Amino acid sequence: MRFSKITRQFIMLMGASALLLGVPAAAASASSSAAQGTGWIRLAHLSPNTPPVDVYLYSFGNSNAKIVLHHVAYGEVSPYEAVTAGDYSVAMRSAGAAASSQPVLSTSVTVKANHAYTVAGMGPESGLRLQVLNDELNTPQGKSSVRVIQASLKQQTVKFTCGGQAIVPKATFASVSSYQAIPANTWTMQAIGSGSTATARFSMAAGTVHTMVVLDGTNGLEIVNLLDAAGAGQPPAGGVTTGFGGTAGHGPGSPLPWLAVIGAGALVAVGGGLRLRRHGLRRQANTGV
Amino acid sequence: MPIRRPAAIAFAAGLVVIVGGTAGLLLTRHSTPVLRPVASGAVALPAPTGPIVAAPQSAQAPVASPVSLTIPLIGVKTQVITLGLARGGAMQVPSSTTVAGWYTGSPRPGAVGSAIIVGHIDSETGPGVFYKLSELRSGDDVFVKRADGSTAEFRVTSTQTYLKDHFPTQTVYGPTPDAQLRLITCGGAFDPATHHYLSNIVVYATEIR
Repeated sequence: MRFSKITRQFIMLMGASALLLGVPAAAASASSSAAQGTGWIRLAHLSPNTPPVDVYLYSFGNSNAKIVLHHVAYGEVSPYEAVTAGDYSVAMRSAGAAASSQPVLSTSVTVKANHAYTVAGMGPESGLRLQVLNDELNTPQGKSSVRVIQASLKQQTVKFTCGGQAIVPKATFASVSSYQAIPANTWTMQAIGSGSTATARFSMAAGTVHTMVVLDGTNGLEIVNLLDAAGAGQPPAGGVTTGFGGTAGHGPGSPLPWLAVIGAGALVAVGGGLRLRRHGLRRQANTGV
Repeated sequence: MPIRRPAAIAFAAGLVVIVGGTAGLLLTRHSTPVLRPVASGAVALPAPTGPIVAAPQSAQAPVASPVSLTIPLIGVKTQVITLGLARGGAMQVPSSTTVAGWYTGSPRPGAVGSAIIVGHIDSETGPGVFYKLSELRSGDDVFVKRADGSTAEFRVTSTQTYLKDHFPTQTVYGPTPDAQLRLITCGGAFDPATHHYLSNIVVYATEIR
């Protein structure tokens, strides 16, 4: 019965090597399917007469804040934070208030993969609210996109112009316009209120998305230019041709020579085993056992 | 006894050959692996819980052009040249297989958007600058030095392989609200008839502030 034992061992050995070969292949294919479920969120304080606040971002159902912004004053906007797609809540507390204290305001926001959001404290202090804005990432080919947030309390109604053209004729306090496509160029933008006008020049490159925030500055109106997103002005077509094949044959190479070696080894071992078995049987016969 | 010994030797020798052959087969299935630092304890980095800076975000803070690229894990330390578009709208590629190139129609590395840097996997005779690009994994570091001496640091978020026939242009080149980097080279099967690889390898990375 030694023969069957050898055979069994041989099969086990081959099985083990097949398993070892299979594992790296499976691991390689698994690692290429990494999770892509990421969105972006940024936080802003755009309420003119509200004192500085601490802003907390929580993953829904988790009482430990994911992000805490301390002492955010009027006009301040955080950079975008990449977050896993899912439900979040944003809470505002007075600057310096304990993290465990009851928030002044809170709201929930659902972050979808590949989407960006601005959560802004808006309105007057007496009517402060947290507003969730959907931010645009794309522009029409070769254009720039712009929207206007009117956050000036002193100039309740503002006309916003780009190159002399009114793109938002009548922006009322705490309003958010929709995005508009404009030709890529360096433009003179103006926010014109009844008692104050702000003028600024901005480069609006193709593929860039902007939010213009109209604020009460120390000396009248101010325009803050936020870059919501940027892409290639002219995206390349398709992939790239970046190889000449000099290492294409140098990869793992053919497994055949090694399999031949294993096969030859198996033949020799089985041959030896058979002879051992035959010898053993003959000895058994000779001794009459 | 005289018959038994050679049989036993043959049997043992056969087993040794099997083990050797299996070892050879397994060893040649892998190229030299990169020396990745071993993660201690938890696999994932803890989520940022501390305060982050709430600086007023001024759009388009000027960022200088990229001049060199360093990827310590795979031994890349190379000059970065500039690339435009070829006829037909595809991206140009570096004429040298030993340098990387930045597509000037994409944002500069560290500015908002997806900065695109490409390099060759190989020449006709040997490895190119991005030969080991496919070995990068989530969490690996990439550094881009710029003309003003500043360095942008990126962290890999994923490594993907796409058939060139199904290249997801929007996913790779599309706009983003934060500063990202795409490193692109060839990969997958090589078609000796056309002398082209059939796939592209794309490494996605995000700037660390």
